Amino acid sequence: MFDRYFDLLSGFMKGNRKFVLVGVIFLTLAAVAGLLFVQYDGNVDMMLPPDRDIDRSMSFLRDSNLSDKIVVSLSLTSEEAGKKDLFNAVDQLAASLSPPLFGKVTTGFSVANVMDGFFLNYAPQILTEKDLTAIDLRINTASVSEKLKRIYIQSLKPESVFMTPMFRADPLGINFLLMDKLKALPASMGYDVAVEDGHFISSDGRHAMMIIQTPVKMTDAPNSKRLLTALYEKLGSLPGYVSADVVSGHRHTVSNETVIKRDIRLLSIMVSIVFLLLFFAVFRDMRVVFVYIIPLLAVILAINISWFFAGKLSYLVIGFGTAIAGISVDYGLMVYVSSRKGVDPSRTLKLAKLLCVDAITSVFGFYVLYFSKIHGYHQLALFSILCIVISLFFALFILPQTLQWKKYPEIKPQGIVDRFERNPWLRNLSIGLWAVLTLAAIVLSFNVRIESDIKQLDGSGPEVVNAEKNFHAVWGGNTGQAIFVVTGKTFEEAMKTNDAIFQRVAEVAATDRFLSLSMFWSSEETRRKNVDNWNNFWRQGREARLRGLIKSESPKHDFSKDAFSPFFDNLFKVADFSSADNEFMANVKERFVQQRPEGCRILSFFPDEKEFVKTMSDLSRVHPGTFVVSGRALSESISSFTSREAKFLVPLAILFNIVLTYIFFRNIKETVIALIPVLTGMVWLAGLMSFFGFPLNVVNIVAAIITSGVIVDYGIGRTYDYRNNLTMGTAFVVSLSAATNIIGAGALLFAKHPAFFSTGLAMVICMSSGYLSAMFVVPSFCSMLSTRKRQGGDA
Amino acid sequence: MVKNKMEMKKTIVLLIVLSLFSPAVIAPRAGGETKGGPDGKNGLSAKEVEIQELLRTIGEKVSGFKSLKTDFVQEKDLAMFKKKIVLRGRIYMQKPNRLAWHVDKPVKYSVVITDKAIRQWDEDTNQVQELSLSKNPIFKNVVNQLSVWFSGEYGALMADNTVSVLQQHPLIIEFVPNEKNIARKMIRSITITFRDDEKYLKKIKIHEMSGDTTTLDFSNTLLDAPVENSFFEVRRV
Repeated sequence: MFDRYFDLLSGFMKGNRKFVLVGVIFLTLAAVAGLLFVQYDGNVDMMLPPDRDIDRSMSFLRDSNLSDKIVVSLSLTSEEAGKKDLFNAVDQLAASLSPPLFGKVTTGFSVANVMDGFFLNYAPQILTEKDLTAIDLRINTASVSEKLKRIYIQSLKPESVFMTPMFRADPLGINFLLMDKLKALPASMGYDVAVEDGHFISSDGRHAMMIIQTPVKMTDAPNSKRLLTALYEKLGSLPGYVSADVVSGHRHTVSNETVIKRDIRLLSIMVSIVFLLLFFAVFRDMRVVFVYIIPLLAVILAINISWFFAGKLSYLVIGFGTAIAGISVDYGLMVYVSSRKGVDPSRTLKLAKLLCVDAITSVFGFYVLYFSKIHGYHQLALFSILCIVISLFFALFILPQTLQWKKYPEIKPQGIVDRFERNPWLRNLSIGLWAVLTLAAIVLSFNVRIESDIKQLDGSGPEVVNAEKNFHAVWGGNTGQAIFVVTGKTFEEAMKTNDAIFQRVAEVAATDRFLSLSMFWSSEETRRKNVDNWNNFWRQGREARLRGLIKSESPKHDFSKDAFSPFFDNLFKVADFSSADNEFMANVKERFVQQRPEGCRILSFFPDEKEFVKTMSDLSRVHPGTFVVSGRALSESISSFTSREAKFLVPLAILFNIVLTYIFFRNIKETVIALIPVLTGMVWLAGLMSFFGFPLNVVNIVAAIITSGVIVDYGIGRTYDYRNNLTMGTAFVVSLSAATNIIGAGALLFAKHPAFFSTGLAMVICMSSGYLSAMFVVPSFCSMLSTRKRQGGDA
Repeated sequence: MVKNKMEMKKTIVLLIVLSLFSPAVIAPRAGGETKGGPDGKNGLSAKEVEIQELLRTIGEKVSGFKSLKTDFVQEKDLAMFKKKIVLRGRIYMQKPNRLAWHVDKPVKYSVVITDKAIRQWDEDTNQVQELSLSKNPIFKNVVNQLSVWFSGEYGALMADNTVSVLQQHPLIIEFVPNEKNIARKMIRSITITFRDDEKYLKKIKIHEMSGDTTTLDFSNTLLDAPVENSFFEVRRV
């Protein structure tokens, strides 16, 4: 059936050569024009697995305003300028940032609320049993005497003018217990930040911090670019003595896109030049340009068709274009070589079958990606399969229409590989050496490192990395923060769970590193309980004892009998359990509370450390409606998901290769021999990555899956060549094919984006090792196992 | 532990004092009672413009010195104590950033503030406590605010206080915290009396909401007199 349809189509193309070529020209022009309408996407979401935990974390980050903030660190660059100048610059910059791109700008927070009696008024509600125990320790003669003496001495100090009411209302210094709880507020930002004159300031007083909210989502690349451009324009107006470091997810989005675009441009040019030079050097014929044009045209058409079916195309997918061009140029090359050798029609048919099998194996290498749940992989598979199919079609049916020679120029056959086939000593040596190296690779592969941190694949430029380095040097916070999220239908419901979690953390971990709203504000239920405890505490004789102690110690410093009446008068004041919606609580809620249409979320912050995240994840499992958002855990989840998929996809890819190879040869011995390059490629990849200390990661594992479908062709080609004694230069074509494959993938090694580099490295190792085994080991096995057919036989 | 508590106390003091006078903390700088009269320049009433001009003129006169030596008597009439507390001591100031406050009676206490640190000592503990300004940036702000009093840059107070001239000769100016000023919960008014030559302060009187009053009388004030480094030594034993 294949023979009939191939002949029919070939005949039609040959009979309508002119029309076909004109049609191709028009198609090319239309495809190039179509590129102007294709939309691209710099969003990495489509490359993320649709895992429940990952989805929840990503949607939390998307919906919350946490990730869509820009933090600007402003630094004094001149010794002559001072804090006042810095604060002026901060205020002017803040005032200049306006909607729609910029939302609320926070340059500090007010500590003035300490003055309005908020904490003293709410002390009975806020103080816990532990705090009451601390107060109890102060109700004794020595402690009260010392307190009164300190109050007296404090009264002599310049600032005492403003302190007297506080002394009178708080002789035991209960306010200090409350102030301790306040520390959580700046600490919850995760930075080493102080507040001065209402501004965030670094410990050395030379840097100020500004937090800018924006409606622009971090993953929205075009608007991120507009946002950053507008911000840089404003930063350009800063005085000469102030410099700025901008830290934001938007910068990563924009920088990644810029790096990817640059890589695509550079790699395309590089691969084009190298391909053309290689082809001209080998063939010394202008018509070889048609071979080069085939993958180029295939990529252009594939972009159009993929966009039509899959919508916006990921830049990451397009970035693989050079590697795919390197793969799909093979078909044209093989047709070109066979045309130059002037092979007869029967061998042309065999070649066509071989190319189709090669293409099918490659297509299946990509088709395996459809079994992944990651949407981006589906797009990569569609784009790549289209490239391959289009290239194959053009190679088989269009290219022959452009290649006609009056006299077929000779191509010198390879000598060295033939010697390996014929010389038993060399044959055994090649097999022995391969076996030793493969065994060594297997041993090494046990130590290969799996990289779980997907941030290592962040391609942001050095300016982004340096800005973050400067920022963390000043403000700390390098370890990052994880977030424990409690959800509830109402604020009170969420707060109850939040309290329970805080108490559990106090039992199993360090609460000073777990910054929770419950540190200084609890659910109404807990606050009512605290008030009861407070009242009981004082009614159990402590009030009388304290009055007595103050009365006996007061004469030493001439305190009046009513000196501390404000304290005792308010001791049993009726508690106001309203949610204290003042400015202070508004600031606190902004940081710790999120109102969502479905209810309320309360956030707590803790260091994003493995053990801490594990402890909190364990707690989350026993508290329904809670979850942990951790950059580290998210990264590990993505990596773990990809590893799980790889454990399924890699065997599937190998299974496809085995089945297709067997269908082609219908012979177990030849199938096993033809699969040697695939085995070698996979094993040597793991071994060499381990040997050189490179990790396997989510992208190079996928690259290996794809490459298996390519390198199996080397084995099939060499085994088929040996079986049928094709004498049409298969060794040469396989070498040239491997060279183009390796050039296409190798170009990725020059990419700045780590995902491309990592992919390129894996593909180059797989292809190189697969090629070497195809050239020197496969023929040796074929010869050793006598797989050659007698002349006249058929495949 | 004790040291931590002391630092905490300092922090509270500083927070409060800062709150009293720092416009950035209290409310936005613009607006307030001092704006409003449609017939004045920049939206100020004619009276406010007049006071602003007066404060500027006084500020120019008072702020002209480079160093200051003055004795003081601080009289505190506080409900907390049976009797008035009378403190006697000295203040030394060297612009731009050195201030020493020495109390000699009834107990010896000193605080020396520079642009780098705050050092305190009292005879009761006989310990010198040094607070790093880098760790207590708020204290630095307090110093700045105290400087406003002592150096005469009163214009900055207009945004958060209603200012009125109580008497022309000698000049007495009253600052009443306005509704934007969180200090109004504690301070009823601050009255400053100037010397006859209006080159420096004669008296500061603070009326608290509780009815307590604190009066600070300056005497033997010398402007631009030589100041010795020993004046800025905190330990006195």
